[in-house]
Amino acid sequence: MVKKKRDVQEVAAVAEPLATEEVTSVDNLRATLEEVKTYDGVIGYILRNSTSAAIDLKDPMKIIDYAIISSSALDAGEELSRFFDLGEVKDIVVEGKNVKVLLLTVGENKVSVFMEKDADYEKILRKLR
Amino acid sequence: MDDEVYSFALKNALNEIRNVCPDITNAFMFREDGEIIAGDENTPEKTMVHIVDAFDGLLEKADSIGGVECVTLEGTNGRVNVSCMRDVYLVTVTSRKADMNYVNTIIRVLIPTVLRLLEKICPTSLKSNSPSTETEATPRIPTPKELEKLEPMMEPAEEITMEEPKKTLEAETKPEPSLPEPPVNQLIVENLGGLLVPSDTVRIDSEILSQWEKLYEGNKIEQVEIGTFDGKKMQCKVKTIKDSKYEGKGVIQLPEKVQLALEIRKGELVRAKPIIE
Repeated sequence: MVKKKRDVQEVAAVAEPLATEEVTSVDNLRATLEEVKTYDGVIGYILRNSTSAAIDLKDPMKIIDYAIISSSALDAGEELSRFFDLGEVKDIVVEGKNVKVLLLTVGENKVSVFMEKDADYEKILRKLR
Repeated sequence: MDDEVYSFALKNALNEIRNVCPDITNAFMFREDGEIIAGDENTPEKTMVHIVDAFDGLLEKADSIGGVECVTLEGTNGRVNVSCMRDVYLVTVTSRKADMNYVNTIIRVLIPTVLRLLEKICPTSLKSNSPSTETEATPRIPTPKELEKLEPMMEPAEEITMEEPKKTLEAETKPEPSLPEPPVNQLIVENLGGLLVPSDTVRIDSEILSQWEKLYEGNKIEQVEIGTFDGKKMQCKVKTIKDSKYEGKGVIQLPEKVQLALEIRKGELVRAKPIIE
């Protein structure tokens, strides 16, 4: 039986050595995201911080599209928060006709989890917080 | 006129929603093409323009998830919900302590009802998605029979919104207009300066002017009425934009004097419609 190749892609290499604590926290977060990826309806995730980014999606053809949506949603969220004085953005959920995206900030990391429309995003949110 | 009635009714509906549910701090509506349809009195037009701009990128790039149906943002001080209803996006901002079940019930019942009602009264306003369709659309004036049929349906909404629009509709049914209703375009204000610039002349995209002239069978449009969202209006002479960098961008160049009179600034939205003599 051929093992399915893991489709995690390191988009940007770590530019400079991270502090041990940060590495641990990113590693922990990635481990949690790997677990989240096994949940019903989850399509994949994007994890990024100031020095690196990791993308793991079932359909690698959509990496760019999803990365753009993720970045646009985070930018729009920041604008909304600024104009309506909403304080720190805890999470954003963007629902499309077919796909739903949960975006949140965990420490210094920005996480986007892509899932099917009927997937339970609250369960994922609880797991990541 | 249809657009004004439509916008007026929605603005009132949004204000009433805020009265019924004080936890809603801001509410406004826009179309996918970025045109702001109506906003409550608590939300400055400038804020709406910035928010629509911020959403522009997301809406444009959301094809891969099947377009945007709903966006929910939770912040430490409050929440924002953007939902798509009948091709219109409704933005509502609520305080942190708001009962979201109550808020959602009100929004999901009231706004679609008002939209359905308005679609029946002035269908062209709901369907127009671009300045060109707006210009080409012929306003449909309900017949007295249709108005009679609509009246019982309008009763619940009347309490909230409809007193003035109804009067306007009644007035419109009397004379049969010989010329089409003047189209209304929403344009972004740009400064118009220089030593030899007349203070009573504004500049508009040549494409918009030619659309207007085409609509009025070649009549030259020499004057426009400019209206702000606060209800201020002014008539000015009009010429085409000379500066190519503003062409095709939905911009209206206004001299400082006009901006002062209308109490608006660069970047804000105004409505412009041709004056036919």
